[in-house]
Amino acid sequence: MAKDGVIPLSPGRKTRSSSQLSPSKPSPQNVYPFSSQTQSQELIHCLYTSEEPISLETLISSFPGRKPQILEILRLVGSLNSPMFPLLIYGGPSTGKTIAILQIFRYLNRPFVYAGCRTCYSPRILFDSILRQLLLHGRNPIKGNSGTKRYEKPSEFIDLLRIALVQAINALKERNLKSGSEEVDRGKMIYMIFDNFELLRSWDKNSNIVPLLLRIHEMLKIPEVGVIYISSSTPDAYYLCTGSIEPITIYFPDYTLEDLHGIFMRNQPNPKLYSSFLSVVLKPFFRVTRRVDELSVAFQPLFQQYCKPLVDRSVVPDEAMKRKLFDNLQPYLTVALNDLFNVPSWSSHQTKQEGDHQKKGIRKSNRKEASNELDFHMSMSAKYLLLSAFIASRNPATLDASLFDSSGGLINRKRNKNSQMSMDRKDSMAEQILLKGPGSFPLERLLAIFQCITSVAESLVEEEQHENGTVVESGSFGLTSDVLLQLSSLCNANFICKSGSCPLEGSTRYRCTIDEEMAVRVAKSINFPLSSYLYRR
Amino acid sequence: MASEKALDCLRRRLCDSSFVYSAFKSTPAGNYSKLKFLISNTITEACNNSVLLLGPRGCGKGAVVDMILEELKDEFPEIISVVRLNGLLHSDDNFAVKEIARQLCMEHKLLFSKMASSDDNSQFMIDMLRECGLAHKMIIFVLEEFDLFTQGKQRLLYSLLDAMQTLTSQSVVIGISCRLDADQLLEKRVRSRFSHRKLLFTPLSTEDMQRLLEHLLYLPKNLSLPSKYVKEFNSNVNNILGDKKFKEILDVLSSVDNTISNICRFLYHAISWMHFESGLLTLDGFKNALSCMQRQPMLDKLQGASILEFYILVCMNRLGSREQNSFNFNSIMKEYKAIQDAYKTSDNYSWSVCLRAFEHLIERELISFLDNRMRSLSIEYRPVRLLLSSQELHQGLKSNSFCPAILLKLLNHESYR
Repeated sequence: MAKDGVIPLSPGRKTRSSSQLSPSKPSPQNVYPFSSQTQSQELIHCLYTSEEPISLETLISSFPGRKPQILEILRLVGSLNSPMFPLLIYGGPSTGKTIAILQIFRYLNRPFVYAGCRTCYSPRILFDSILRQLLLHGRNPIKGNSGTKRYEKPSEFIDLLRIALVQAINALKERNLKSGSEEVDRGKMIYMIFDNFELLRSWDKNSNIVPLLLRIHEMLKIPEVGVIYISSSTPDAYYLCTGSIEPITIYFPDYTLEDLHGIFMRNQPNPKLYSSFLSVVLKPFFRVTRRVDELSVAFQPLFQQYCKPLVDRSVVPDEAMKRKLFDNLQPYLTVALNDLFNVPSWSSHQTKQEGDHQKKGIRKSNRKEASNELDFHMSMSAKYLLLSAFIASRNPATLDASLFDSSGGLINRKRNKNSQMSMDRKDSMAEQILLKGPGSFPLERLLAIFQCITSVAESLVEEEQHENGTVVESGSFGLTSDVLLQLSSLCNANFICKSGSCPLEGSTRYRCTIDEEMAVRVAKSINFPLSSYLYRR
Repeated sequence: MASEKALDCLRRRLCDSSFVYSAFKSTPAGNYSKLKFLISNTITEACNNSVLLLGPRGCGKGAVVDMILEELKDEFPEIISVVRLNGLLHSDDNFAVKEIARQLCMEHKLLFSKMASSDDNSQFMIDMLRECGLAHKMIIFVLEEFDLFTQGKQRLLYSLLDAMQTLTSQSVVIGISCRLDADQLLEKRVRSRFSHRKLLFTPLSTEDMQRLLEHLLYLPKNLSLPSKYVKEFNSNVNNILGDKKFKEILDVLSSVDNTISNICRFLYHAISWMHFESGLLTLDGFKNALSCMQRQPMLDKLQGASILEFYILVCMNRLGSREQNSFNFNSIMKEYKAIQDAYKTSDNYSWSVCLRAFEHLIERELISFLDNRMRSLSIEYRPVRLLLSSQELHQGLKSNSFCPAILLKLLNHESYR
């Protein structure tokens, strides 16, 4: 979701401006560029959207596949000044809940308070943001700063909220009386919108913020307040132990194929061409994901690829041309499907263009080229340390003694003949490794293994150097220097992570987080025979 | 315009809880009359009392208290002062005492000191109770979400109920809770000071329901609406209420939840479907409202899943039915690859794509991690569990039109063997 990227604002700024940025999800692509609101003199307007109101037709046409939901919300919110029950709008991520609500309020042109629980990440900030928006609205321009009070507890928040709401509602009423027929009547209702409501559950286990906010309408007992919750988890997630007031629910289903087609066709310069592109692309991708945000990311480079043979992009494709374009695109399609969510790096693009031979050869050749080299630099001893951590994580500790002899070298294991017993044991071991993940190990074991494999490596190097006829003093290779420093830098890079301390020994245990593919790559880069050190392989 | 006005009037009624519950004012054996009698008796006899109102949510406990307090304030002006506490807000004892002191100060126009200690506040409360008792004034404490006050040491409840043991004070403590065993939660020392008066609120009976519907849906004659329209509207409502199909709808609704608030939500939904031109309610509106209230969230969530996500769910279900007690993404992938090898479907995706779909499922809350302890472990090793039953999965797959037939076969083969 695009909202994840929204940076929590400092309390000094209004949160509304962030709320206006947040709905710029890819779903209705750049429909309305939300201008970030500047601090204007007319504070009283700050509860309205800054843009011109839109008509019902544009509202509905800007959300393909959302007409029934929008009409239902409009019906339930009701006409001007009519009280309402709390609403809960739910639906999977990237189904256009937030933007639909915000646009509906732009159409209705009524005052509202928006609080996103992702940007306001603690109760205090959430309360602060709501109160700030209300106070900014309710206070008299002449009076100046009424000052936000400090509050510690939810009850103080409720008290302040009640006061602020009454103030704001009175201000609205006054304004309606004063302006008379000059302006459009915007009613005296204030709506509170809580976005990302599902996040509240994880905030604090003991605090009862969820029942508090769910019952806020009942608690305030002000009929001029409407409450709307937006949540990506279903209403049953809020059934708490002593039950709670159930809001009226509205469900936003995930987009169907036709809806997605409608969404992607919006604002296209050459609809015919894009439609033919979609007819090729949409169906296979739809089987993998139904989220608009991910699909739009995946389609962008593919469309570039699709258009490559064309000189003029405004051309209307006929059947033969469509087929040609499709043939051109097909090899890329399977590749793109399989790294659907990887952000393509520059170099892999290059290799893709070079390896432009045959349909299925591409992927494999890419893989091989990529797998041979590491795409970052690591020092020699860090590599050895990483490998020893990998070995320590993969092998059971009891096997160390049989893998390494006292001189540090590798013992040639005698392989058992494949009896049924050992086969079974092997299977269960494999199962365990799949289930348990990498094992944890104490620092001493890591250092011991590191010592063993580096001594082997050094002796190997020496032998090579003897063969070449050069004489180097032993130990000058310095692989074992500054091991602890390397370890901490590997920890920082998240290749090795600390996992809880052992209850008996009290020392910290480590765990290696890299996968086998990566370990093999590292081993290759230093010519280390990793496979012979791994148990069962 | 008349229709708009009528709709607005109906909505206002539904949202105004005192109007909704005034339908049951007149019943002599109802909780309203009992509670009112109890409190007014306590006032006239100048004694102490305590009562618990128990019943499921949405049965009008709070609304009845509100109504009675409003009326008593008119009946006995200058005598009653009300202190309201809510368990959600004031479950902390010290804070609750402070809040009581604040509200008493507000009520009696005294200066409230924010800096006063908890001891000062509770002393102030006891003093106030005595003073009020001497002046023949009544303090009514309303404790909403009563069960939440019993969580800690119950100091607040003890000091409140203990203060009421003296002859000088005059007060009523009204506890409101949706837990029927709320009085069992009290400590021994608190319970012995409690009067053990309990009023049980129950959901609606059929006759009550009929009366409530008539009370809410008929338009009044004195409203500034054209009388012809009102007549037409009311006869239409009468027709609908008498309709057999409407009775069926009501039966379905009340068999799930027949509390007053649920009926109100249903009506709110239904009147929003009011026919705009004629301004009359329709039976279809009630039907639509019922279907909106009968959503099954799990199936909704399943409907949003993509094919690949369905594959992963089926794999998990197969693993689960094989009595493998714990599995994680790696073992799911093993199963997935086995299926792909065996059937050679077109949905063979790479590891990273599957991991992403797996993450989507977690986000959708169709599956979840078994425990939150192993956060340091990467996602593919953490054990997960399926939050769906195989029947639900079966139903979801069946109702999904574009789902490949092989999936259903894979699911059935394993689970209904």
